[in-house]
Amino acid sequence: MSIFSKVKDRLEDLRRPGYFKKYDHKFTMVIDLDRCNGCGACVSACYAENNLPVVGKEECGKSRALNWIRIERYVEGEYPDVKVKFIPVMCQHCSKAPCETACPVYATYHNQDGLNVQVYNRCVGTFTCATYCPYDARRFNWFTYKREKPLDQQYNPDVTVREMGIMEKGTFCIQRIRAAKDRAKDEKRALKDGDVTPACAQACPTGAMVFGDLNDPESRVSKLAKSPRRFRLLEELNTDPSVIYLKRVMKDGRGTSEE
Amino acid sequence: MAEGHQKSSMSYKDVNEDIYGIITRSGIGYYIICGLFGAGAAVLFILPWAYQIYVGQGVSGLNVPVFWGIYLVNFVFWVGVAHAGTLISAMLFITQTPWRRAISRGAETMTFFALMLVTLFIFIHMGRPWNFYWTFPYPTQRQLWTNFISPLTFDVFAIGTYTTSSIVFLYFGLVPDLAALSHTASGWRKKLYEFLSFGWRGTDAQWYTQNKACMFFSAFIMPLVVSVHSVVSWDFALSLVPGYSKTVFAPYFVTGALLSGFAGVLLMLSIMREAYPVMKKYVTDYHYDRIGLFVLVLSLMWSYLTLMEVVTGLYANTSQEIEHLKFKLATPPYMQLFILMIFCNTVLPLVYIVRKVRGSVFGRFVVPVLVLVGMWLERYLIIPNSLSRKFLPWMWQDYAPTWVEISISLGTLMMFISMFMMFVKVFPIIALFEVKEDIGVPMKNRKHH
Amino acid sequence: MKRRDFLKYIGIGGAGTGLGYLFGKVTQSPGNKLIPYLIPPEDIIPGVGAYYATFCTECSAGCGILVKVMDGRARKIEGNPRHPVNKGKLCMRGQAGVQGLYNPDRIKAPMKRSGERGTGQFVEISWDDAVSTLAKNLTELNKKPEQLYLLTSDMRRRGHQHTVASSFMSGFGSPNIIRHDLLGPGNLEFANHASMGLSAIPHYDIENTRYLLSFGADFSSAWLSPVSYGHAYGQMRQGGNGRGKLVQVEPRMSLTGANADEWVAARPGTEGVLSLSIAYAIIEKGLSRAGDAGSWRSALGAYRPSEAAKTVDVSEERIYSLAKEFAQARPSLAISGGNLEGYENGPSCHMAVSVLNHVAGNIGIKGGVIPSPEALASAPHPMTGPKNSLSRFAADAEAGRIKTLIVSGSNPVFTAPKAAKVEDALAKIPFIASFSSYIDETTAYADIILPPHHPLEDWGDEFSEPGAGFAPATVMQPVVSPLYDTKGLGDIFIMVGKAVGGKTAARMPSAEFKDYLRGSWKEMYAKNRAMAAGAPTFDEFWIRTLSEGGWWGAESVKPRCAAVSVHAVKEHLSKSVAAEFEGDEKAYPFYLMLYPQAAMRDGSGALSPWLQEMPDPMTSVVWGSWVEINGKTAASLGISEGDVVSIESPFGKITAQAYLAPGIRPDTIAVPIGQGHRQYGRYAKDRGANPIEILPFKENPKTGQIAVNSTRVKVTKIGNGRLVKQEGAARELGRDIVKTMTPAEFERIKG
Repeated sequence: MSIFSKVKDRLEDLRRPGYFKKYDHKFTMVIDLDRCNGCGACVSACYAENNLPVVGKEECGKSRALNWIRIERYVEGEYPDVKVKFIPVMCQHCSKAPCETACPVYATYHNQDGLNVQVYNRCVGTFTCATYCPYDARRFNWFTYKREKPLDQQYNPDVTVREMGIMEKGTFCIQRIRAAKDRAKDEKRALKDGDVTPACAQACPTGAMVFGDLNDPESRVSKLAKSPRRFRLLEELNTDPSVIYLKRVMKDGRGTSEE
Repeated sequence: MAEGHQKSSMSYKDVNEDIYGIITRSGIGYYIICGLFGAGAAVLFILPWAYQIYVGQGVSGLNVPVFWGIYLVNFVFWVGVAHAGTLISAMLFITQTPWRRAISRGAETMTFFALMLVTLFIFIHMGRPWNFYWTFPYPTQRQLWTNFISPLTFDVFAIGTYTTSSIVFLYFGLVPDLAALSHTASGWRKKLYEFLSFGWRGTDAQWYTQNKACMFFSAFIMPLVVSVHSVVSWDFALSLVPGYSKTVFAPYFVTGALLSGFAGVLLMLSIMREAYPVMKKYVTDYHYDRIGLFVLVLSLMWSYLTLMEVVTGLYANTSQEIEHLKFKLATPPYMQLFILMIFCNTVLPLVYIVRKVRGSVFGRFVVPVLVLVGMWLERYLIIPNSLSRKFLPWMWQDYAPTWVEISISLGTLMMFISMFMMFVKVFPIIALFEVKEDIGVPMKNRKHH
Repeated sequence: MKRRDFLKYIGIGGAGTGLGYLFGKVTQSPGNKLIPYLIPPEDIIPGVGAYYATFCTECSAGCGILVKVMDGRARKIEGNPRHPVNKGKLCMRGQAGVQGLYNPDRIKAPMKRSGERGTGQFVEISWDDAVSTLAKNLTELNKKPEQLYLLTSDMRRRGHQHTVASSFMSGFGSPNIIRHDLLGPGNLEFANHASMGLSAIPHYDIENTRYLLSFGADFSSAWLSPVSYGHAYGQMRQGGNGRGKLVQVEPRMSLTGANADEWVAARPGTEGVLSLSIAYAIIEKGLSRAGDAGSWRSALGAYRPSEAAKTVDVSEERIYSLAKEFAQARPSLAISGGNLEGYENGPSCHMAVSVLNHVAGNIGIKGGVIPSPEALASAPHPMTGPKNSLSRFAADAEAGRIKTLIVSGSNPVFTAPKAAKVEDALAKIPFIASFSSYIDETTAYADIILPPHHPLEDWGDEFSEPGAGFAPATVMQPVVSPLYDTKGLGDIFIMVGKAVGGKTAARMPSAEFKDYLRGSWKEMYAKNRAMAAGAPTFDEFWIRTLSEGGWWGAESVKPRCAAVSVHAVKEHLSKSVAAEFEGDEKAYPFYLMLYPQAAMRDGSGALSPWLQEMPDPMTSVVWGSWVEINGKTAASLGISEGDVVSIESPFGKITAQAYLAPGIRPDTIAVPIGQGHRQYGRYAKDRGANPIEILPFKENPKTGQIAVNSTRVKVTKIGNGRLVKQEGAARELGRDIVKTMTPAEFERIKG
């Protein structure tokens, strides 16, 4: 291989976000919007699992609620022909994530599991990732948030309590992924479908959320991802998100099929 | 060049004394004003900043979609103000434009202090400013490195280079002046000048080297005029945010920067001339004429690019861009701010078409102040405003700065003024040797005073 | 260095070291040992979670939960995947259960009142003091034991905790158990019993239905068993056997209405009329599957769509098309709840929906209404006797017939209208004891508080509504050791009963409640042969039950049959089934609809900061109250979003901020229940408005249910404001963010 082509390859590597050409896993969530009824169980489960702080009314009024997952509600039409659509939005773990190019200190990067991860310790708080995120999935620790005793006894020891001044976002419950990988390793087997369930998917009463590895062709998400109802949020931005939504079926639906 | 040579009747001694007079001769009033600005900076900037560091960024008005507020506006604004210094010292130096000589030192000084504020505002806007050094690629045991594809890393290098070269350039120009003044000066100033002039004796070899060095640095920082603000604009243009993601941003930002920079220089000169009537000998109507023309031309360019920015958005014709434009152009109070900006930056500079206005009080004070206000508004209407209307309407949120942000902005402005005033009391604000060049007689055989 | 100096320095150094050691000893904080166990308990491994099965007490659904306990603390509540009710899922309310356990405002020890009644000032006392004070007071009543009243919740708990409470009362000799629950499905139970002869809530088979016609039943947020029905809803939509259609009839679009394919905004109070006119239309078109369709046609003569259309404000064509779809889709199902439960004639409205199900032939079929199987043999009965009403309670208190009151699990000061005069009644009662974990509005009136364990620290059991093929018996067991000086709820009754002595003590179990519970289960085990399957001894069965969370009775339970006869419902449908509203239409132009949210329910969720910060699904408002007004109506009144408006009924006035809702009738306003607490801890106190206050006090004499949708109001703007909500803008602006497809296309891609 000539030096020229080596340099060329290297430069091309640099243009590709992330270190990994092939991920060990490509963790993906499929959310069936036809099942989702917008009840909010996932939001609450995320608070419980991920030590999210409660910021209070005043801060909520400034749009600083620290919810890693939110349910957006879009309304079409006027009374009496009102149509409402719900969509749970969390960090989409984009494979071509705008936030990853933005961080000057590599506090956010793509890991070998296909996850967009945030290194809390490395974050200096330039806000660039959050500004670049088209999904507004990132949340900032505006203050040092403390829980009133004894509510702090509920803190999940598997998840860091974040410091003031750093950015955070949905992790697909990376602590559960780690634990499942460790367990699989202890049992000398490969990670299998269903080993990992993030808190939101676990709580979801309607079963709208399914989580798994897209690299595994037999996994539930791989099968669901082939659905003709499949779409991804703001796909036109070419961020290649890892969250796949399945279209809501409704009377005045658009009826524009991708396939 | 008739006006340019009006000083030819002066002797070098007059020049030395005039300028040393600016340094030393001031009433107590000057120091009181300088002290007040300094105290204002301490109260309005240092204390709120300490409060912000202690309590958290939450004391600002930032919120979830609008993560960049007026700290970033100030950052971009001051980078802009810094630009005139570079242009005047570098570009006009290389093109040997004669009228730059009397104003170059002042402009370079402004650049220097503006860049100080630029650096400060980077730290102020950070969530954990005590870790600022992580943005530099320094060797660590943990093999942590910076992300070289991040536009913010570009920024670190662009601003770093710019600051370093500006300081060096400013200092190189100062060396012969300090040597000259060390003869006139007494007391601590004399010692300082002697130390800083590094034994400059004005030999041919030294002049030759100095000239070469200045030439080199001019050539070196000339690309920076274009690159620094282009890089700053990429902080925004490299994102996907509607209102940010535009290829027109680099020239737009550079033009805007030069416009605000020249307005800044104009205002600074006018104030200095009022404070030191002796400066009227050096900074004449001719200068106002030239700078006024610059402002006029830059304003026209800026207006064109502003139009293009809006048209680019319209041309994209996506809901995202249209909503962003609607928010910026048709929603109060931003509509009013936009109209004010157009008035300040497009309509008002048109008065410079009339030659008389360029030298009038209105042209010297009112127009540059309003141009600066307009340029600040331009950044405000781009930075926080675009973030208020991103892709998912569910997350739309307005932004308004809090007292902390406003106080820090005002405090840093005061710090800028007080530091500039102190600089004037220590270093010559008009480049002696360049003005002497203007007088034009080579003085090889005479010892100069 | 001289030798002397050397010794000197050594001496100084030595002394310094000693001082330093002492200083270190003194200043050392006690908590800096990482693991305080020399020999740790076997189930505590630092960093490894243990899961304990119990059930959720946040509402009456009785979902099975697993609590993740790490280092001796409850960290997270998850659904029990084996439990047939919730199948491993859990709603937001259930997740927040830990915040009840670790709430900073929990009562930490027994207390007695130190300030005025109602102010909520108490001082701690010992358990001995508390029990003896209450026992002494009760012994004084020995001559007239009926002067003891027990005020408790109507949450359909059938556990042994309630059995103990019942036997306490009967042992003492007082029949006066007042059951009060704002949201209890009393009307539905009554209506099902009267129309179909069912003693329990039947299983509504949403999962398998192809056409779900819901009359106000908001099963996605607070109706009966939201998690169970949420699961069923997901299966109905995309479970694999054809996509079921959902049509929601209600004046204010609820969360379920928002998910519906069609939303029918019938006039408030006329849902029953609509139901019957659909039934009539089905018969008229000859689509009825009921054998007695002919007799129904004449019975429903007053509900011809042509006449009903005007009453219900739904066009005649729409009634016919709903009827056609409902009758032709197989299986179809009509359910009723929400608004209907809150009308003063709630039972009639529910019965009207039963009639519709009967006419369409939906009772007793898969995907329809499946009557519940028999309860377990020897399972404790729900508290029996007449449904004692709050109005009787108020009258008795007024007449001085109540000398001592025990409050356990009910908070009528908050959940009853001002017009019920509960506070006046409480003021008349000489002695009030409260068994409550928090100082709520009613407990604030108590003279003495005996705080029970939080359900996550306590023993108990629950016999949830049986469903298709299961009749669950779930055990509640302590998952963490008690945080404070509290006692199990059952144990408190036992302790007090024993301290009272006499017959009461004799009726109390001899052992602790825990052993009593085990004994009762042993009895059940002996009587239910199905329980013995796979567990030859009771000990084995008990251990398995505790580890799995309960026993579900799979296979052993068979559904029953039921039908609605004209005769049974004739009496109830003879009057108009349209509900009445208080207030003159001119003076009070708007119907007031109150509704429970999933988070707050009857206001009991307000103490949890998580639930306070949880955006309401339909408005995204957090930490407060609001009133939903139709945008056009608001414009005509000059109200814009966030404005503070006063809502005035003939019975009172509250203020709330306006939310301009797209999905609400122009003649209706809606306010959520749950905020406006005057007590109940720091997170709930003085936040928002309590709309129950301005209701008339209309209690259904047969069911004891308070009518919450029973008044008209007027709305006036009194100020400007900004509503704290998460929604920035709720319109897509043509961005096609949430992509959709038509049912026709869905059918095409499926095939």
